[in-house]
Amino acid sequence: MKTRLGVPLLLLCFFVSLSWAEPVMVLTKENAIREAPKFFAPVKMQVKYSDMLDVMNQEGDWYRVQFKGITGYIHKTAIEKKSISFSETFATQRKGTSDAEVALAGKGFTPQVEKAYKNKHPEMKYSLVDRVETYTIQDADVIAFLKRGGLQEP
Amino acid sequence: MMVQRGLLCSLLFLLMLTGCVTPDIRKGTDMLFTTVDAAAKAARPISEEEEYFVGRAVAARIFSSYPLLDNKRLTTYINTMGRALALHSQRPFTYGGYHFAVLNSAEVNAFACPGGIILITRGMVDLARNEDELAAILAHEIAHINYRHGINSIQQSRWTEALSIIGTKAIKEYGPQDLSRLVHIFEGSIDDVFKTLVVNGYGISQEYMADEAAKVYLTRTGYDPSALIAVLERLESYGASSGTGIIKTHPDPKDRIENLKKKILPSQVDTTLLSLRTKRFTSAVQ
Repeated sequence: MKTRLGVPLLLLCFFVSLSWAEPVMVLTKENAIREAPKFFAPVKMQVKYSDMLDVMNQEGDWYRVQFKGITGYIHKTAIEKKSISFSETFATQRKGTSDAEVALAGKGFTPQVEKAYKNKHPEMKYSLVDRVETYTIQDADVIAFLKRGGLQEP
Repeated sequence: MMVQRGLLCSLLFLLMLTGCVTPDIRKGTDMLFTTVDAAAKAARPISEEEEYFVGRAVAARIFSSYPLLDNKRLTTYINTMGRALALHSQRPFTYGGYHFAVLNSAEVNAFACPGGIILITRGMVDLARNEDELAAILAHEIAHINYRHGINSIQQSRWTEALSIIGTKAIKEYGPQDLSRLVHIFEGSIDDVFKTLVVNGYGISQEYMADEAAKVYLTRTGYDPSALIAVLERLESYGASSGTGIIKTHPDPKDRIENLKKKILPSQVDTTLLSLRTKRFTSAVQ
């Protein structure tokens, strides 16, 4: 009798643990789900701000997450645990991703505020800020830089 | 029999938690969580995304006084070095990421705009004698961003007022009245941060914190941490002769040097690697 009940219970616990995967929100404009818990591990998938990922488990500073059927790793500083209600949790899991509206909830300094500020202060050099934000360095170039200089990978 | 009853109880408990609860129980838990959410949001700090918009505005204002240096080689060099250092910091990712730029000014200065834009003057680049020293300058600025020193200089009363407008609802667009008030608060917030970065400077404790964190980032990356002391000593000599730029807004380098000397022990530097790095530094900054 014990054996007959034990197997379904184990299966149930397994499915419960899956449905309990904790939802987290991507905090950065862009980021990546990587193959391994390392900064320069190959990228499996790009994610963007407000994407909701399901956390499977934590490994040091990295979370193993699932998003749109892809499983991989993302750094803890790129995500935020969303404290949402039970019903929202299940609704989110059913949808797979949440609304950007959820991410915007209660935000003060928004693109709308920046736009109004820019219109009021045309003397501010936002064009240069936009230009500086295009300065990005590829992973491969950082790796080569570190290697040539006898420096350490993170 | 006892075991079976225990298993059945566990089963029922798990079913309740997975959603097989009555609507009333769910409503109750939702109300509890909503109350907790509302209370948390009412006193929440400035978010990463909001910090990013403040940082962009502060950088735009700095660019009104300092022109951007158009030097692709140097820009790529400091961005590669800066990204490597930031990945060794406690905050490797920010909302908009880290971006480094050189300002075309002989003044010796550097500004860590909230969110990750770091602006360093040509004069400051020239103060460094090798890559490790330039890395020390960047690491110090990254530390200010890690500790949110810039964004924390916004007056609490402004943010409290902003929170009263923001509320806890999911609003996509603000109405004209709320928008006007938020823009006013945004302007004030930019003033607060700008004054700290450009006019008054950080406090001595914040500089110590940034120095000590910079030491950690440098060590983790493989740079010589004593390069930070070397660059501060040069800054001290520069300050004695000029009294402008960073010297006006930063505490006396002498105190910072003393503090660092207690924390950085002399270490063996691989001279072959140092000369390799110095070679690429010379090529990038010339």
